[in-house]
Amino acid sequence: MNKLKGMNRTTRKNYLTYALVIAAYVILEAMMRGGGLKAATKGMLVPICAYIVMALSLNLTVGVMGELSLGHAGFMSVGAFTGTAATMCLQAAIPSTGLRLCIGIVIGAVAAAIIGFLIGIPVLRLRGDYLAIVTLAFGEIIKSLVGNVYMGVDHGQLRFSMFTNELNLSPEGKIIIEGAMGIRSIPKIATFTAGFILIMISLVVIFHMVGSRSGRAIMAIRDNYIAAESIGIPAFKYKITAFTISAAMAGAAGALFGNNYSSLIANKFNIDTSILILVFVVLGGQGNMLGSIIAAAALTILPEALRGFADYRMLMYAVILIAVMLVSNNAKIKDVLKNAAEKRTEKKLAKGGAADE
Amino acid sequence: MSNVVLKCEDLGIVFGGLAAVNDFDIEVHEREIAGLIGPNGAGKTTVFNLLTKVYEPTSGQIFLNGESTAKKTTVQLSKAGIARTFQNIRLFSKLTVAENVMTAMNQSMKYSLLEAVLRLPRYWKEEKAAREKALELLSIFDMQGMADVRAGSLPYGAQRRLEIVRALATEPSLLLLDEPAAGMNPAETAELMENIGRIRDKFGIAILLIEHDMSLVMGICDQITVLNFGQVIARGTPVEIQSNPVVIEAYLGKHKEG
Repeated sequence: MNKLKGMNRTTRKNYLTYALVIAAYVILEAMMRGGGLKAATKGMLVPICAYIVMALSLNLTVGVMGELSLGHAGFMSVGAFTGTAATMCLQAAIPSTGLRLCIGIVIGAVAAAIIGFLIGIPVLRLRGDYLAIVTLAFGEIIKSLVGNVYMGVDHGQLRFSMFTNELNLSPEGKIIIEGAMGIRSIPKIATFTAGFILIMISLVVIFHMVGSRSGRAIMAIRDNYIAAESIGIPAFKYKITAFTISAAMAGAAGALFGNNYSSLIANKFNIDTSILILVFVVLGGQGNMLGSIIAAAALTILPEALRGFADYRMLMYAVILIAVMLVSNNAKIKDVLKNAAEKRTEKKLAKGGAADE
Repeated sequence: MSNVVLKCEDLGIVFGGLAAVNDFDIEVHEREIAGLIGPNGAGKTTVFNLLTKVYEPTSGQIFLNGESTAKKTTVQLSKAGIARTFQNIRLFSKLTVAENVMTAMNQSMKYSLLEAVLRLPRYWKEEKAAREKALELLSIFDMQGMADVRAGSLPYGAQRRLEIVRALATEPSLLLLDEPAAGMNPAETAELMENIGRIRDKFGIAILLIEHDMSLVMGICDQITVLNFGQVIARGTPVEIQSNPVVIEAYLGKHKEG
């Protein structure tokens, strides 16, 4: 009896999240087909999906693992550049845009996962503020490096160079990544459906991970590092697993994002983007995936919705953000929620006691 | 005599010139409850931290079931059979009671992360078994009804008991209890005493406990080691310890003539 109830509570919220995401997709897709969406709104659907996946990914690091990462845009950047370059290189080989996008996203995810793993080795030996600052530094390093990569294709061969253009392409060769100019003339093959599928996959991975022994171990390390080690949980191994998965998701989001625009530059993925994603996570609630989704969607739409304010747009954006943070962290509102939770606990304890007799 | 589970020889640690523990030795056998007592600051918890490698000993040796633990880490020692509770409770407060216990079974569970994400049969099978085992262990303290409550919201006494259950879930051969009765009233302490005895009988393990509550220590321990200023000052049965003048002096101070 208790078992069913216990499983239901978490599972219920997970199902609610799936259901809302599917409902939102169905409604928006129907509106799009019916012509009920403005072109500007339509153009925002893919970036919203990408930012939602970014928020979910960062929530895995911040909410589930309990470590602050300030360089998450770096992983997005790695995914965006590798994923977009991949789809452009494969343009002739794979005519199907859907399949090409899928491969691009996988490549973006794998590339970001590798970088995440390598960065994780030194970074995850630190904790708290120190870890946060070091991730910030790594984010900047990735941005600088990506902004100095030159890549081209020449007779089916990939050519790379760093810092200066030394590709020496023949006249038939094509340059793909051009240092600080980034990638240009991207065919824009990302679709809303692909974004939706990516969100669903991310949710399944996170929820199923959290509900497994790995998830419990990661949260145990977050809650009490010393106790976790005392029951035989190798902290570093579990943390690097979570961090790599988080980076992979960010890379997939980046690949989706990159394939949505006609041009892509490394400077897009700077500290501002990392902080923006952190804002989604904090606003939505740490560990709360549905909250992250709503916050990411709302805060991506907001600047567009505020276009009417012209020059004061970003000022309004900031004011609304402050207001929402204050309201959602209001002590009185929190008290009401806390009391409700405590009552639930008391009820459960009372019931548990009764069951023993 | 039954098997020796824990054996320490000349164990010691120096913190910046101060010998927090010096020449500590002990032998704890299977199905034996050993007590470690001493005034505040005597180094009792430091001994636990040495045994579990939270601190690396600066001298001496530890043998667990006959094997030296010199090259083992905290995590490996859990696998080797040491489990402990903490003086200042350290639960996974945001996880539920059952999850706290299931987390401790991690090393005996086999399914991979991929199997978990794809929810393959082995995931369901092992999760179900772990949950059932967790409820069974919780029933030692009649806590199965609290399985789905967040550990952080449990009453104080229940949190202490949950720490013991979590430690047992790692299937230890040696259980270290750091002040299990701290903050409990006499009735709760009496119940705890009974339960510690039951745990010893049911699991056949060795227990080493630190405790200030003398009714508990004298009531259940087979042997007692007294520590003062990091040194073993006495060892014996409860009756021997109670009448040992050195121990009385350590606790109450020297009687002044005149």
